[in-house]
Amino acid sequence: MSEPSNLSLQAEKKRAIREGLIAVRPALIATFTWGLVTGVAMVKSGLTESAAVAMTLLVYAGSAQLTSLPLIAGGAPLWLIFAAGCIVNLRFLIFSAALHPYFRSLPWFKRITYGYFTTDMSFVLFMPRFGEASERGTYFQRWFFLSTIILGWLTWQSSSLIGIALGALVPSEWGLDFAAVLALMAITIPLANSRPMLVSMLAAGLTAWVAQPLPLRLGLLVAVVVGILAGIWAEKSMKKERR
Amino acid sequence: MQSFDWYTYGAIGLLALCTVLTRASYHLFGHRVPLGDGVRRALRYAPAAALTAIIVPVVLPWSAEGLGTVVDEKIFAALIAVWLFQRTRNNLVMIIGGMVAFWLIRALFR
Repeated sequence: MSEPSNLSLQAEKKRAIREGLIAVRPALIATFTWGLVTGVAMVKSGLTESAAVAMTLLVYAGSAQLTSLPLIAGGAPLWLIFAAGCIVNLRFLIFSAALHPYFRSLPWFKRITYGYFTTDMSFVLFMPRFGEASERGTYFQRWFFLSTIILGWLTWQSSSLIGIALGALVPSEWGLDFAAVLALMAITIPLANSRPMLVSMLAAGLTAWVAQPLPLRLGLLVAVVVGILAGIWAEKSMKKERR
Repeated sequence: MQSFDWYTYGAIGLLALCTVLTRASYHLFGHRVPLGDGVRRALRYAPAAALTAIIVPVVLPWSAEGLGTVVDEKIFAALIAVWLFQRTRNNLVMIIGGMVAFWLIRALFR
């Protein structure tokens, strides 16, 4: 890529940031609500306020945080919490594989930084716009991405901190820890968007229910394996049907 | 003075590591590890399976004696929440409606 002149670079930067901010604005309401619910859920599931603040600032991944809460409350072993967090976050591996060409030319610490701050929202806003771009990794694309992840981070963290403060005020008798389960369900149910996926989730759910007496919450891992196998099996048998 | 809670902060540290590993490792080593089709397919099912497997034991826990399941306000509120989501396709309606159902059922039957 030829180096653009300084002046046109400035203009392009402004344009990219503006476009990013306009694109991200409608999504911020959802981000704010999720942050609020996650903040309340962390405190109501038994984390101290300082632990909840550390969690939101360091982990910065709502579904992994919500997943870990019942495990931490139940005293599951740390390696299982780690494994569960990684499995729930696996979608980011696919996202980052798709985003990789756009950031490939950057030094490694910048690539880590862009990666760490990549959220579902930033990915969903970026790919439809630039997925078919003939040139990947332009200044415009990176500044667009940067403006969406910065605004997303600020919104998520401020709403999460407000949620933590609110959660500390609300008495435990209200049972607001159940809101954490409802929030997880709101993430999970839309994933059942095809028949193999539904089969996979039903198999995983049934396994998780049956496997409850297993020590150390190991039923979770068994359920994931059964879910993957059931999904692949359903996919294959549907293909056969069509033939 | 309370002692430092190693368990909780250990979990938080490990979860932060999860975030970095899943979001950044492909940016670091991607050119060396192409994702095959079979792997991608397995990856698609794993998160939904894990999320489902976390939710089910919370809303339908086994009773302490190990025989049968505890049926309480949680499972009914969860079913109402699912129904609300099917009707409205709205996350917020689902969470608030599920919570209200939880409170109502608890107030009526306890």
